[in-house]
Amino acid sequence: MVKLFGEAKLSGRLETLRAVSLFEQLKARELRIVDGLLHERSYLADEVVFDEGEDGQALYVVLSGEVLIVHPDVEGEGLVARLGHGEFFGDMALIDTWPRAAQARAAVPTVLGVLFRPDFQTLMSTHARIASRIALQLAREMGQRLRQRVDTATQGRGKL
Amino acid sequence: MWAAIISITCLLLFLFQKILWLVVPMLLALILYYVLVAPLQWLIYRGVSREASASIVILVFMLVVVVGTLAAVPWVVSNLANLQSGVARYVDGGTMFMDSSLRGLESSFSILREAHLADTVSKRLAESSGSFAEKIEPIVVGLMTWTPSLLLAPFLAFFFLRDGRRFAKFLSGAVPNAYFERTLFLLHGVDKTLRAYFQGLIQLTILDAVTLALGLWLLGIPGPWVLGILCAILAWIPYVGTIAGGLLVVLVVATDFPNSAAMAYSAVALFGLVRMLDDFVYMPLTIGKSLHMHPLVTVLMIFIGGAVAGISGLMLVLPLLGVVMVIGETLGALVADDRLRARHHHAVALRKHAAEYGLSQPESN
Repeated sequence: MVKLFGEAKLSGRLETLRAVSLFEQLKARELRIVDGLLHERSYLADEVVFDEGEDGQALYVVLSGEVLIVHPDVEGEGLVARLGHGEFFGDMALIDTWPRAAQARAAVPTVLGVLFRPDFQTLMSTHARIASRIALQLAREMGQRLRQRVDTATQGRGKL
Repeated sequence: MWAAIISITCLLLFLFQKILWLVVPMLLALILYYVLVAPLQWLIYRGVSREASASIVILVFMLVVVVGTLAAVPWVVSNLANLQSGVARYVDGGTMFMDSSLRGLESSFSILREAHLADTVSKRLAESSGSFAEKIEPIVVGLMTWTPSLLLAPFLAFFFLRDGRRFAKFLSGAVPNAYFERTLFLLHGVDKTLRAYFQGLIQLTILDAVTLALGLWLLGIPGPWVLGILCAILAWIPYVGTIAGGLLVVLVVATDFPNSAAMAYSAVALFGLVRMLDDFVYMPLTIGKSLHMHPLVTVLMIFIGGAVAGISGLMLVLPLLGVVMVIGETLGALVADDRLRARHHHAVALRKHAAEYGLSQPESN
């Protein structure tokens, strides 16, 4: 039966995108527009996605597999984060041409969705609603990360 | 680096000259694409899909062209008889103006008088001029030869509008992971350069046409808007087009005001003023901004383009140089980046290892 009201059933690919926290606020039609902008790339285990200090041009979304965020200043093996399905990284590149803060490397065979900054900027002028929902989600994530850092720093000071 | 960029531009110009039947419609399609991309974005902004927006925009454009052509046909047919006498009248007017100007110069300079300059030029003109039919024939044949390939332009523009993004995705998809982000940036750079150039060209044409038409209207010259638009379009061909536009204006003035040398000189002065405005104000505001090129390089490249590929070279050299510059600079940076190359080799080794996995028998003890 044709569904006249409410959201249409999402295809497998769009379900994957819906699982990404950055796009969770988007409707099916809006997800389809974002999907049209995403580039899909496959990486083998141990393949470098980007290096620290490189000019950032795009945001990456993990569609399948696992990505390691690595920085040499971090104790141990330098592991900053281990990102899985639905998580994203390289988000600062969506806002400005900041150099990458750490290296990203595939831990296992991985498929990534890539959102190029100029495409996001075009989205801001052609589909402001979609872009603002993504930007709001991005700001939430950044705020959360900042809170975590403050908490870590406060705990560290308390131990001294 | 610069030598390589200029050499590649010249080589491409030379090759493009051999396939002009394809290059000209592609160029027109690109101009059309960058003109129509704004209404396309406007429709997409209002929730219409890219495919539907491209169809609507092209259909509206075609409708305007067809309606315009249908409206112009009765006028052209009714004026065809006048056209022959009109062209002949303007050619005669121009010849008389040149003759009187040369005789004026002869009266002032004895060297010219002794050389019989006016007589020599009018004799040469009389020898080279043929009938109206002889003159018009190559133009008509040229138009008929070019019509099919010119009709390609809107179709190409439609596919650029509809599938441009898909094409960019396809191109970047063929690039190794290590170079992927840089390639996206390169494609974006090429698009930005071409967009700025062609949109700048359209803005420049409008500014030129309006300024010239207003000046001609103030001088009281007939058909100021037609002349203004014609001259502005002719200026797409650097130098040669500008001179042709100037001659056209002088021809009209000399014919319609045969006894007023002041009017002809005013028209020439107006044309000179517009050219200066064009070179020092309009051009830097429009096209100049898009290519970020030194004026000396621009002028030199225009001459080189003309020498390598004639009129088509003059028209193509600047946008081509802009694109080759962007590609050359990005590729130069890619080739010089040892880290990117190392990452690519690492990825190739990983892929080879993955492909070879399980091919050899494990060693038994």
